[in-house]
Amino acid sequence: MLESLTSLEPGSYPFRPVRPPLPTEQPLVSPAPAASLAPARAAAPETPFFLTVAGIPIYAVFHAAVPGRASAPVVVHVHGLGVEQITLYRQEVLAARAAAARGFPVLRFHARGHGDSGGSSADVTLDSLVTDARAAADEARRLSGRSRIVWLGVRMGALVAGVAGGMGSGRDDADAFLFWEPVEKPADFFRQQLRTLLFSQVAGGQRPEATVDQLLARLESEGSLDILGYTLQRSLVQSLGTASLAPTLTGGRARVRLAQVQARAKLAPAHAQLVEALTAAGTDVQSALVQEEPGYQLMSNPAWQSDALLRVTLEWLDALA
Amino acid sequence: MPWRETPAELARARAEVPVTLATAEGTLFGLYTPPDPAAPRAEHAVVLLTRPRSHRNRMWVEGARQLATRGFGAFRFDYHGTGDSEGVTAFLDPNRPYRGDIAAVLRMLRERFGHQRFMVLGACFDARTALSAFMDEGGSIDGLLFLAAPVMELETLVKAHADRKDWKHLLRALGNRENWRTLGDPARWSHMAMVVRRVAQGGARGGVRNDTPLADSFMEHFRALVASGARALFVYGDADAEYASFQVALQTVFPRLTPEQRARFDVEVWPGDVHGTLNVPVQRRVLERALEWIGQFHPQAAADAASGGPAAGGR
Repeated sequence: MLESLTSLEPGSYPFRPVRPPLPTEQPLVSPAPAASLAPARAAAPETPFFLTVAGIPIYAVFHAAVPGRASAPVVVHVHGLGVEQITLYRQEVLAARAAAARGFPVLRFHARGHGDSGGSSADVTLDSLVTDARAAADEARRLSGRSRIVWLGVRMGALVAGVAGGMGSGRDDADAFLFWEPVEKPADFFRQQLRTLLFSQVAGGQRPEATVDQLLARLESEGSLDILGYTLQRSLVQSLGTASLAPTLTGGRARVRLAQVQARAKLAPAHAQLVEALTAAGTDVQSALVQEEPGYQLMSNPAWQSDALLRVTLEWLDALA
Repeated sequence: MPWRETPAELARARAEVPVTLATAEGTLFGLYTPPDPAAPRAEHAVVLLTRPRSHRNRMWVEGARQLATRGFGAFRFDYHGTGDSEGVTAFLDPNRPYRGDIAAVLRMLRERFGHQRFMVLGACFDARTALSAFMDEGGSIDGLLFLAAPVMELETLVKAHADRKDWKHLLRALGNRENWRTLGDPARWSHMAMVVRRVAQGGARGGVRNDTPLADSFMEHFRALVASGARALFVYGDADAEYASFQVALQTVFPRLTPEQRARFDVEVWPGDVHGTLNVPVQRRVLERALEWIGQFHPQAAADAASGGPAAGGR
């Protein structure tokens, strides 16, 4: 089992064992070279537009691919929830631009209730997120003329991508799922959000107003909570219910690539469990560690970007094509 | 409650036009929200500045669509190196605003959408960029909403606050906008202002005559604002670290204005924090005040005010 998690790809990063740690273990993604991989300019046209889903305008950008890789799949980005849609936004743009420069057409979009799309954040549910993702994938295929899809799921976007294009979705056009710090279980994600809120209160010299459990009880009774300027809705939490990422991928033919983006030097337990479960089910899965901390809930100046994450993403795409 | 679009706002969303415009720093991406043809037409296009352009909790998306339902054109965009736009990602120093970007945007709005008069608004770096627009377009901007921006050099702020720390540490700290908030120590500010004023006495820095401890760029752009004849509303929270620096401006450059010039500028200091908009009530208050203030520029509002009719800017 462990060996299957530790195999090296020729010319790839040293994907090292996730457990047990070896004495020689190094950061799994080495520091980026001095010259940034992030492209300052687009190598091919990028076209912003709106598509209409259920009467709601959905903002999207189509990155045309540089010619020469006609068989490459189209990449569909599925962003994270709420503030994470903007804290990781620049990194997504740079990854899309770099992928297009390597011959992969890419489509990014803002789900309803997010960014420049229509709709209210109060109405966002798992179902609405999945509906928008599917529509974006259809549009990506139409615009690119490609028949296969690589879903790039960011944080909660990983789960959305899994539901939208994985097992039980009714689609069979997924070539691969490529995840950036995926959320395997929404309940854990929401608890982490609440912990961040409480930490910020402590950092600001305030005594935390409640425990995480008390905040969850308040969400249940009041219907919403203000988390650092974003309203968490009970309806969203309920819609995600007991959903989890693993069942959307287990048994499928699509390959799975998981980039952990956090400071720790080993795969987090949730990620390790996902990798093990998928491996046991015969899925082609690989993981990598990007030992950086974007501060998912906090906007930074400049916007967070990671050459290491860009590098592993591009290398995975190259290997998948 | 989160913003829920009205049918009129959803119609403005459907009417939005994605725009790209070429600049020396790369192609900029933005969205133009055309005024509701059924609303009394306002004279101005309003440029809402931030990054990424939707703003925290989509404040500027809502702002643009609400303004459009009231007859204003609205535009929001990503600076070079941010959001969807091209260009190199870099630390955004409020004292080095992206003047070229905002100038290019106003030209585009004039040439492509036919707008001749503008209003600009933003917070922090975005407020300073909005202010810098008066250097190139002062004759065509009638209003500035300037929210919680520092008006001194960041280096000066840090020197004043943390003179015992090493530079690497300070530069790292400056990379995090949240850290600026920790600089709000009034006693340090008072000390710093005195020290820097001595340094600045009689000096002309970078060709700009500036006998205040304020940043040269702020002084230069503020003078352009004064010369333009535009109105401005400055809003700070009394807990904002940035307010401490603005207090120095209130004590130095504002008293030098003529009564006519001073009458064009309003200053509001709200309890608590404005800068971070880190909770929904502050966001709502900022947005509602912005819409109210901009609404005063609507010809219908002026007519109503003259006749004692409905409140300005209302739908």
